[in-house]
Amino acid sequence: MTSSSESAPLISATSTEASAVPAASVRPKPTRAGFPIRLKHGLLRIIDLSALGFLEPIVRLCYGEEPRVQLRKIGQFVVIPVLAFAAFVGVWAILAPKHKTKSGEVPTPAVVYEAYQAIMTFHERENAKEDAYVTSGGARETLLADAKARLVVLAEDEAAAAEALAAARAAEAAAKAKAIAPLQQRLDALKAETDAAEQEREARLDAQAAAVSDAASRKAYLADLAAFRTWKDAERDRQRAVKDDIDAINRAVAPTTQEAITAQTAIAEERQYVGKLEELLGDKGRELKVAELKTRISELDTAYLSATGRDLYKTANSLLITQGRLDSLESSTYAKPSTLPYQIQRSVLCVFIGFLFGSLIAIPLGILCGLSKTFMAAMTPFIALFKPVSPIVWLPIALIVIGGFIPDPDSHWLMRWLADLPLIGVFKINPAFLASAVTVALCSLWATMVNTALGVASVDKDHINVARVLRLGFWQRLFKIVLPSALPLVFAGLRISLGVGWMVLIAAELLAGSEGIGKFVWDQFSNGASDSFAKMMVVVFVVGVIGLILDRIMIIFQRMVSFEGSVAAM
Amino acid sequence: MAFLELKQVSKGFGPASKRYEVLSDINLTIAENEFVAIIGFSGSGKSTLMSLLAGLEKPDAGEVLLRGKPITGPGPELGIMFQNYSLLPWLSVAQNIEIAVKQVFATMAKSERSDYIQHYIDLVSLTGSEWKKPSELSGGMRQRLSLARTLAMKPEVLLLDEPLSALDALTRAVLQDELVRIWEEDRRTVVMITNDVDEAALMADRIVPLTPGPRATLGEDFAVSLLRPRDRATLNFNDDFKRLRNGVAKRMLSLNEESRLVKGTTVRPLPAIDPIDLDRRVVASTVA
Repeated sequence: MTSSSESAPLISATSTEASAVPAASVRPKPTRAGFPIRLKHGLLRIIDLSALGFLEPIVRLCYGEEPRVQLRKIGQFVVIPVLAFAAFVGVWAILAPKHKTKSGEVPTPAVVYEAYQAIMTFHERENAKEDAYVTSGGARETLLADAKARLVVLAEDEAAAAEALAAARAAEAAAKAKAIAPLQQRLDALKAETDAAEQEREARLDAQAAAVSDAASRKAYLADLAAFRTWKDAERDRQRAVKDDIDAINRAVAPTTQEAITAQTAIAEERQYVGKLEELLGDKGRELKVAELKTRISELDTAYLSATGRDLYKTANSLLITQGRLDSLESSTYAKPSTLPYQIQRSVLCVFIGFLFGSLIAIPLGILCGLSKTFMAAMTPFIALFKPVSPIVWLPIALIVIGGFIPDPDSHWLMRWLADLPLIGVFKINPAFLASAVTVALCSLWATMVNTALGVASVDKDHINVARVLRLGFWQRLFKIVLPSALPLVFAGLRISLGVGWMVLIAAELLAGSEGIGKFVWDQFSNGASDSFAKMMVVVFVVGVIGLILDRIMIIFQRMVSFEGSVAAM
Repeated sequence: MAFLELKQVSKGFGPASKRYEVLSDINLTIAENEFVAIIGFSGSGKSTLMSLLAGLEKPDAGEVLLRGKPITGPGPELGIMFQNYSLLPWLSVAQNIEIAVKQVFATMAKSERSDYIQHYIDLVSLTGSEWKKPSELSGGMRQRLSLARTLAMKPEVLLLDEPLSALDALTRAVLQDELVRIWEEDRRTVVMITNDVDEAALMADRIVPLTPGPRATLGEDFAVSLLRPRDRATLNFNDDFKRLRNGVAKRMLSLNEESRLVKGTTVRPLPAIDPIDLDRRVVASTVA
């Protein structure tokens, strides 16, 4: 470490020189795994901020820090929850087929996943149709040719599928017949036996009836008649049991047939889709329709140029009308039905708008409540009275009130303005949407208000003393001391509010018919199609995942404003 | 005319039926740039006395005068350094000082202000920690930050409410020397409350004992005639220091004896002072 250029330098000088190596040239030593330490600290801080604590042992393990401890933690926080979830799915898969409802079986996880795929396929197909409507030029020709080719292939596939289905059905019928035959034989034998025995006993009873003389014999006759009736019922039950078995076999759908049906349905659906796509790429597409109208207009033009008298009016009128149709056609789009992804986006927009309404009311009111005990006393009856009211009660009221403000949505200035907004306009906000948002606001504002009031009221006395010593004015004290101190509790309240709001929204949408996840559930329920049950269970998971993501976002915000010693430093 | 004066001040707490008289007939006269140490037992009303001096509370009887005029309320000229630091936990070290400076010197230009703040951060040896939050500082560093903030307000009187009692003995010694150094650089009137006789003898010009509560008063004061600068190492061999220290200690203990004899075995109600820990707060349950 000593410089060897000079012959006899002072020892103290070189030692101080050697020790004065600038810090910048000393790099942090790489760890065993070879990544720089700064990346590790950065990752750990991100994990801490986003409350994804289960990732921490994985990062630490990658850096070779205490492998045993990290493996145990991974086992505890990653493997066990995954296993628990897998166990849940397993139990579900086992128990589901055991329960039969009038809408079919309870769907297994596999069926639910297929329903999810069906939803996404529907969404993609609708998007394709929407694009096909407006495609033009060479791209359109290519797509049209592809569609036509696909239709040919599908036609063959459909024929093959029909054959397969017929074969499967035949095989199933044969198998069923084979299974039923012995049962039927038994039933017939039973019937014959019973009929014979019945006749014999009836004859005996008649003889007994004829030979009745005194009370004892009458009583005996009565007893015998009763015994006969019970015997007949028992025999009938036995026959019915066998009949039920036969019916069960008849009713059951063999798996092979089920598969053949599903395959055929899939092909039929695709054929229908491609057929519609072909139409939209061809005559029903915008390009061709516009071309057609343009030729019509040029015809009318030439006719108009040479028209006189009454014809003048007629051709001029037709020309103007056709011109108007052309204008609206050129900006038209495919009338796409709402698919689940669109509905999800609309629901999330609705919950955010409602949450914003609610917070804008709750936070200022909460601050006032916290600052002034009188105000809090005045607000207490309202909070206590309106907090427990269910969203299902608020929604009709909101619908009526908003309907009163917006009697004619199409010509109302607010609706028009909302429809013209750049990003939000595509969601077609209507009074039902606004009513749902208002319901969300009304139900979710209480948590924020109460927590804000608590946060503002419980500012540390020491901080208030600092404000007094510095002689801060009212507004300065509010913004510099009270609000920063209360912010963690405010965000805790906001997080609870958003969770409550998301739950409330689905119910509100279902009732209001606002296009969203709630409406999707209602449509499935009232349609009662074969996969509706499975689709409703897909919605359970979708709602859960979105709620989870929203909660995570709020946790991140909450952590960002928390300081040491604040209540909600979770 | 005395710079800071307490004239027959009394203070009590509680409703009229259950009145607890903390301080009774307090008389204290402090000259300008004097370093006065008040020594008292725990619970004898030291913090109440400090609050009265700082204007945070009003006395029930008597007057608190600064330069002959009664103190109407707290303000930056009465620079009180709280026992539990009272730092704003969401602000960094520099921002904590800045909030005080912005308030007191509102017309200071931005660059001048940042230089001013940096000067005080360097003064208390906190250089390099400007952007740390109070939760990332040790106890001694928090105390220094509190001192820096109070000094940056350029108060006329520096009121130290048991500034070093929450620290370990080694840090205490370091900070005692720092306080004396800063005071000597920039003289102002200081009133310090402490429970350590050695500390008072080391730092102060005058030691005033506070009798144990209730109805605490100030006893006869002791003048500290030791020459500055006072070296802790050699002071233990100084006869004057030993006499002073023993005298004060004897007086304090005798006061305690007296009060015990006077009251006998009556139950002494504790004052309503909660020890406050910056690291923990009473958690109010979040109401949903």
